[in-house]
Amino acid sequence: MIVSTETLRREFGSLAAVDDLNLQLPAGGVVGLVGPNGSGKSTLIRMLLGLIAPTGGSASVLGESIERPSRYAGKVGALIEAPAFVPALSARANLGSIAALRGIPRSRVNDVLDIVGLAGRGSEPVKRFSLGMKQRLGIAAALLPDPTLLILDEPTNGLDPAGIVEIRALLQRLGTEGRTVVVSSHLMTEIESICSYVVVIRFGVLMFSGPISELMERADTTVDIAAEHDIDTSRLRDALTRNGWTVSPKSAETLSVSAGAADAARINRVAAEAGVTLRTLAVHRDSLEAVFLAMTGSDDGELARDRDAALSGRDTAGARR
Amino acid sequence: MIGVVRSESVRIGRRGIVLGWLGLTAVFAVLINFVMFNVVPQDGTSMTDGPGVAFPTAQTLLSADGIIAGLGAAASFFGVVTVAFWALATAGDYSTGLVRILVAAEPRRWRLLLGKWIALAAATAAVSAAATVVNVVVAPIAAQAGGYAPDAWSDGTVGVVLAAYLHLYLSLLVWGTLGLALATFTRSAGIAIGVGVGYVLLVEAIIAAVAGDASDWLPGSVLTALAQGGNAAMTLAVASIVGAAYVIVALSASFTVFRRRDITD
Repeated sequence: MIVSTETLRREFGSLAAVDDLNLQLPAGGVVGLVGPNGSGKSTLIRMLLGLIAPTGGSASVLGESIERPSRYAGKVGALIEAPAFVPALSARANLGSIAALRGIPRSRVNDVLDIVGLAGRGSEPVKRFSLGMKQRLGIAAALLPDPTLLILDEPTNGLDPAGIVEIRALLQRLGTEGRTVVVSSHLMTEIESICSYVVVIRFGVLMFSGPISELMERADTTVDIAAEHDIDTSRLRDALTRNGWTVSPKSAETLSVSAGAADAARINRVAAEAGVTLRTLAVHRDSLEAVFLAMTGSDDGELARDRDAALSGRDTAGARR
Repeated sequence: MIGVVRSESVRIGRRGIVLGWLGLTAVFAVLINFVMFNVVPQDGTSMTDGPGVAFPTAQTLLSADGIIAGLGAAASFFGVVTVAFWALATAGDYSTGLVRILVAAEPRRWRLLLGKWIALAAATAAVSAAATVVNVVVAPIAAQAGGYAPDAWSDGTVGVVLAAYLHLYLSLLVWGTLGLALATFTRSAGIAIGVGVGYVLLVEAIIAAVAGDASDWLPGSVLTALAQGGNAAMTLAVASIVGAAYVIVALSASFTVFRRRDITD
């Protein structure tokens, strides 16, 4: 396991940002770390990097305890929240400064600038860079030590569509070069497109950890159908209901049948037996985003209410004790 | 450790820092010489010290030490400038968020802080040299403009200038360490500089008015004595020991705070 935590905990006052987290991340590939705002992703990353200390539990990175981050810091690269540089210094000087700190040869600076597509802009001061260019430079800084574990917080933030595609391709490539790339992101499409493994956190509690295909098994599947003539819709609905399916209207003409892809042919047959010709038959599967929202809550307001309820429940329980 | 110092030196060596630090120091060196030689009366009357300024006597200005008297007279001003740039270099890591990258790359935080101190100490040596050179160049011109004709200035000039440089450097090293500590505690260059300037111009003057001789042990007085190579209030040896104590206390407190602090910025 490249990262392992055991009842890892971090409290800020009465709030447990990471709440007795047990997590095992396998080595290799791109791992998605997802969760709503305030779910504890950044706190977890900061603890793994030695920026903040846990208040309980233990964890290891590359087999070394997080109590001794200097033992693995040379093999870990990270982009934490927004990229941070000295604005007045050039991109090359900024990276040179970090390379010197890490004891990395200066020639590596040009290599990483080339990897992120900034080789031609290395002499410009960072204050002239767009957010997207700063993001690329942040990734370049994380790549300086040629890390075994690369941790990137919102790596495509601020990039234009072409840049997003390019960086996603880069991350996928990095994940196949024997290293592990951990990507924290709010963008489910991003996680779905580049990650093979996903970790879902909510209120500092682990909701799911496993291959993304396993998470998608929780996705609801429906078969959406529409009769050739609208007048047949109610007859179609009755026929399907008699055969045991749950049917609900999706629109004026379309019905949604709670069934999997394997049932599509049978639904078509029942419709034919009822004398209804289908104009549309499509299998619909919930996206990762829908699965994620079903698991974590639909919006920030709902999350805040849930969190307040959880905290007041905890306080009440504490008062009872 | 060499890597940490080199890393810091790249950031400290940026044009804005170098020109600002050297420029302000040179301006104060020029100003203090022209003010000093114009306001200190040659009839032996003592001048009342101003906030942050310790005027020498006419006798000192006419002696071999007169060529470097400006360095000691404006030691607190040089000190405030040094506090400002050490604080900028330290708090800038927080304001830019760079501290996250630095601590993630080098989790042994004491090395980061010590490396920063060494790099800033080296920069301070260069700034002290620049202040000394500017002072030595400007002092004869300012003396002539003020009506002074110091014949004794040629006596052992090299030794006098080197000693003055060393004394100024040591005092600025203490000032800078205090600036580093203030910036480490507050994580804000603005607050650290405000506290430094306010202390030198106001707080220590008020304490001196209230506490009398006890104020000789406060940073402004001690470091002025150190920059002047000792004075009536404190010998060089005592000033050096007290200055070293300030450095040890400030660095120890900074190490303790920085080592235990959560990097959440």
